[in-house]
Amino acid sequence: MSYQAYVTDTAYHYDGSYAGFLCCIFESFARREIPAAVCPPQEGQMTLFGIRQIATAPARAQRVARGLQRLGAEVRDRVATGFLAAVPGKDLRLLRFARLCFDRGPGAARMLGDADAAAAFALERAVTSEAHRYVEFLRFEERDGMLGAVIHPKHFVLPLLRGHFCSRLPDEDFLIFDATHGTALLRRSGQVQYLAMERYAPGPDEAEESWQALWKRFFRALTIEERRNERAQATHVFKRFWPDMCEMQPEAPAGGAHS
Amino acid sequence: MELGEKLEILADSAKYDVACTSSGVDRPGQRGSLGSCAAAGICHAFTPDGRCVSLLKVLYSNACSYDCRYCVNRRSNDRPRATFTPRELAGLTIGFYRRNYIEGLFLSSAVLGTPDRTMELMIEALRILREEYHFNGYIHAKTIPGADPLLVERIGLLADRLSVNIELPSENSLLRLAPDKKKSAILRPMGQIAVKSAESRRQLAVYKRAPAFAPAGQSTQMIIGATPESDRHILDLTEALYKKYALKRVFFSAYLPVVEDERLPALSTRPPLLREHRLYQADWLLRYYHFSARELLSEAEPNFDPYLDPKCTWALRHPEFFPVEVNTAAREELLRVPGIGPKSALRIVQARRMQRLGMAELKRIGVVLKRAQYFITCGGRLPARGTRAEIAGALLDPKAFAVGVQQLSLDDFVARPLHCAAPAVQELADHGVAARQAAQMVRQEALTCLTRRM
Repeated sequence: MSYQAYVTDTAYHYDGSYAGFLCCIFESFARREIPAAVCPPQEGQMTLFGIRQIATAPARAQRVARGLQRLGAEVRDRVATGFLAAVPGKDLRLLRFARLCFDRGPGAARMLGDADAAAAFALERAVTSEAHRYVEFLRFEERDGMLGAVIHPKHFVLPLLRGHFCSRLPDEDFLIFDATHGTALLRRSGQVQYLAMERYAPGPDEAEESWQALWKRFFRALTIEERRNERAQATHVFKRFWPDMCEMQPEAPAGGAHS
Repeated sequence: MELGEKLEILADSAKYDVACTSSGVDRPGQRGSLGSCAAAGICHAFTPDGRCVSLLKVLYSNACSYDCRYCVNRRSNDRPRATFTPRELAGLTIGFYRRNYIEGLFLSSAVLGTPDRTMELMIEALRILREEYHFNGYIHAKTIPGADPLLVERIGLLADRLSVNIELPSENSLLRLAPDKKKSAILRPMGQIAVKSAESRRQLAVYKRAPAFAPAGQSTQMIIGATPESDRHILDLTEALYKKYALKRVFFSAYLPVVEDERLPALSTRPPLLREHRLYQADWLLRYYHFSARELLSEAEPNFDPYLDPKCTWALRHPEFFPVEVNTAAREELLRVPGIGPKSALRIVQARRMQRLGMAELKRIGVVLKRAQYFITCGGRLPARGTRAEIAGALLDPKAFAVGVQQLSLDDFVARPLHCAAPAVQELADHGVAARQAAQMVRQEALTCLTRRM
């Protein structure tokens, strides 16, 4: 290292925002130390470490952001995307990774044999691969001329879905509701907004139901019974995605209610 | 006929077509049109047989005037027939696409009257999609063997990928089972597409707005197990197709007996799924691992080992090549190590510029050490020393001995060999041996046999 930094037994507490996290990186450099933990408000209620409250200062956050920018897109995206992960302890891993990169240069992102670099890579991959799964398995429903979808992701993937769906449906209005984080991505007349939202429960729509019935019929017809391999199916589409996918719902029992 | 019923019939008829990829072309969305394409391809659903649904895969019509022996849609087979209209098909594609069910359309067809007439109807459907709906998503179209070259040219300007099915791996088999299809009728459009596509790429390099002819290239597929060709024959053919026609993919489809015929395997024959899997593994070795077909199979061993994947088989036959030093070996050498794929090979090459690699580092990089550890050195040291039996045990492919409860019904919890398990396991199970025991026995025997060979 260009200068010494010691792993201390202090825990950084910050406000949970990305700017706040960047300030933690700043603090770590200013004090020439690597904290033992970095905690957003929802974590670290009980800790054995001494606590240092890190205030969010936009000017400092900007400085660190510029520094990350200088290290190239790979490092910058890894920190920014990794930050969207909902994994306890992600903040410390990303801080250690950022320090590694500031120390060794942009190439450190590819030093996957290193524990810190590998941990940050794993975080980024968890988020991007979940986002990719939603690009694949998200199902829109059309209600009143607008497309809507509900998802239950582990990580906060909405910012990663935005580019894909805006490019794919350039002239459509749509809404993607992230039920886990209570946030919705709304695109209306070319403008994108993130909204805090409690629930999204549109009424039934006959035309939409007939489209779903068509899709289910197609899906069933495509299955080759002689090759049935449910294990392979479940490894490609994890079961946690199934509740939001219309073709994975069991058939409504024919013939109405029980006698 | 109601649209849902048509869709069901025509999807059911198309399901034996394997290719359902949406890869090979990158095209961002544009205002005023609908859709985009991603070069890596996007899957949108997986059916209970574990296959991906990426495109709306349907036949335009299944009312065929040909009588190919192996085909469900042959003229003499008694089954419900249906035909779309171009407008129905286009509307259906758009409806599914907007809901993110599919990545685009995969359009094939039975021969409706003549090949030319069929192609004209298909072209009309694609034209409506592209010109009226301004559909910018993926379209894979199948050319009909024997259609006019001018029609092939027109459909190539509308579709992203074209394919011509080679159907069977040799001319003899084709003659015997598909008397209406000629080898020349299959290879001629393939050649035409290859030439046109290359020409269009050259033009696009000069003029941005030059029309793109099948920008995602072409693919083909053949049926495995209906005819007696060896794996070596099939793999040689595959390699030749990649080289000569610059195909993007060659697909294999394990033959499912759907019709009774004295020239075909009996109806009770199981589809050779493990063989199909091995061929795909070898296909990957050709395309991404710099292997050649002749390296993988020899005159003496013309078929793949059911219990070992092709790369392990090669590694065991070439002990002089190993061990490979991870800190200095070239990427091509790393790719030959069982357990190191293109991704980990690239990561190793990138990481070792910054640090020395030992076992712990390789593990973090994601190398499958279970197999790789016996074939590499880290800084001159062998990471693991195993007995021959241990090495053989690590290399055997667990897929060949897979047993499990497949169908979740209330009264059936008995474990059975999975469909992809080795034929020997299936056979033992058929003779009344418990599935797990059968798998155990076959594995033990394969292990002994392999240990002796090493």
